[in-house]
Amino acid sequence: MSTIALSDEDRMLQELVAKFVQNELMPLEPAILKREAEGGKYGLSEAEEAPLLAKCQELGLWGLDVPEEFGGANLNPVARMLVEEEVSRTIVPFEFPPDSPNLHMLMAAANEDQRERYLKPYAEGRMKSAIAISEPGAGGDPAGMLTRARKDGDDWVINGRKIWVSRVPYCDFIILMARTGEGKREEGMTAFIVDKGTPGFIIEREIPMIGGRRTYELVFDEMRLKDSQILGTLGRGYAPMQLRLNVRRLQMGARCVGISARAVEMMCEQAKSRVTFGVPLADRQAIQWWIADAAVKIHACRLMVMSAARTMEDGGDVKNEASMIKVFATEMATEIVDRAMQTFGAMGMTKELPLQLFAQQVRLMRIYEGPTEVHRMAIAKRVLRHGKV
Amino acid sequence: MKLLVPVKRVVDYNVKVRVKSDGTGVETANVKMSMNPFDEIAVEEAVRLKEKGVVSEIIAVSAGPTAAQEQIRTALAMGADRGILVEHDGVLEPIAVAKILKALADKEQPQLIILGKQAIDDDMSATGQMLAALLGWGQGTFASKVEIADGFATVTREVDGGLETVKLALPAIVTTDLRLNEPRYASLPNIMKARKKPIETVKPADLGVDVTPRLTVLKVEEPAKRSAGVKVGSVAELVDKLRNEAKVI
Repeated sequence: MSTIALSDEDRMLQELVAKFVQNELMPLEPAILKREAEGGKYGLSEAEEAPLLAKCQELGLWGLDVPEEFGGANLNPVARMLVEEEVSRTIVPFEFPPDSPNLHMLMAAANEDQRERYLKPYAEGRMKSAIAISEPGAGGDPAGMLTRARKDGDDWVINGRKIWVSRVPYCDFIILMARTGEGKREEGMTAFIVDKGTPGFIIEREIPMIGGRRTYELVFDEMRLKDSQILGTLGRGYAPMQLRLNVRRLQMGARCVGISARAVEMMCEQAKSRVTFGVPLADRQAIQWWIADAAVKIHACRLMVMSAARTMEDGGDVKNEASMIKVFATEMATEIVDRAMQTFGAMGMTKELPLQLFAQQVRLMRIYEGPTEVHRMAIAKRVLRHGKV
Repeated sequence: MKLLVPVKRVVDYNVKVRVKSDGTGVETANVKMSMNPFDEIAVEEAVRLKEKGVVSEIIAVSAGPTAAQEQIRTALAMGADRGILVEHDGVLEPIAVAKILKALADKEQPQLIILGKQAIDDDMSATGQMLAALLGWGQGTFASKVEIADGFATVTREVDGGLETVKLALPAIVTTDLRLNEPRYASLPNIMKARKKPIETVKPADLGVDVTPRLTVLKVEEPAKRSAGVKVGSVAELVDKLRNEAKVI
């Protein structure tokens, strides 16, 4: 149930996505859980994914935040967060194509030529992309990165190492953040578009992550790029990258709401049917308080996400709100999923329920796109500067 | 030809309804509301007839509170062309809705009106039949198949013991059963298009209809809780209990 007034379009979109999740994705959940439990790949097989993509195309659930000029639906941020919440209720790993955060960075920074070569096919779902920011020595503090691009005649020569990069095996190009100037920290940071297969672009290793995901370590060894591969302005790559991260952090807030809402539903079902010592769990205060706390936090988090989405829609800066959401949402989901698992007892420890995958994924969310502690630092810094909230 | 399709705003079928504490009705505050599922089937059938070229315009109608616009908008997103909201905040009994629909039928002159066979809130199953009587049109209720040709509607009806087929001269009334079709999802592009489709708002009085309730609801209460059953060990024991305890065989 939504907690804010929605337009008719947003409400119908939410219902459409909810039906899609219920009727098309949820039925796949048992098979995906079973495969993962047996040590197989966590993901959709081609046979499972193809009909979903066809259905998405039929329903127009494609290019949700893509501008209309590229055939997208150009949804407002509020609508996108509603979609994100609904689709996060299942562990079936499915995203309405294309994955959007890079889209926003490309839209903000790509020149005419790059719009044609990269943004258009990406927006139309014909190309996939990844982004490489973190380095073995620079994660939560991207401004400390060491990967360097130096000018050599007409070329940029790039050397360095990137880590925790998702989507590498199936992406067509990556956005690579590298240092081009002598400026300290975020100054002198430039974004490059690198085609997969560029000589010197090496996929060093695959790193299995908890929650069933995989990331990659990349090495750039004397990789040569032309000026035409610079995304945006030389030495000014930091701001568009932040823009991308803000979108992602809001999305993560909505995802945490979706995951938590599902966990509460499961918890309620279990609490009402499971009887211990002659009393249903639902009659026990411990469980009641968990459910009440979960309801309060989910409500708060939804409002936080929706408020930031409205600000974003109006063109406002949501950097601070995005940090707050990142902290609150991920800690909320960690607590709620954990309590749901506890409510299920031994059943909650099995790989037959989606809760364990949710728990691992939520654990991961407290790290990527900026660890909780870094966000707390950033929030505190702003509050201390102003001396008030 | 024009087609009229009434849609009712009801408590969503997924919601477990609760009786109000004062026993005057069921709780609808802060409850998810949706289009009556049988009406969704009616809208789907209407849209299919339009896609086949049989129908040229679909008008979605709802009688109810301002918020019933949402259900009209959903019908528009599924493919209806325009909407009419007959705004009324109080109770609307089937006879009142039938009179409202008659007034609209007189004005719009549709050749076909497709309604849900019943609404899942009060399960009256009366509006379609009353409307047919008021208009003096033929009716094919509980339809599982509808074919329109040469000024006639051929309607297959699900009745006890089998299927009955009736042939009605148009204009006619059809009410939908569950198996008539499976309603589509409103696609995102159609949701966006629905925003631009017009919804006209009128009051029952504008149509000259008196909607004052004729019935008095005395009390609404939940069904008695079922007590736990017993498990039997064998067929012999079951037969014995049916014969000697329940005395049904």
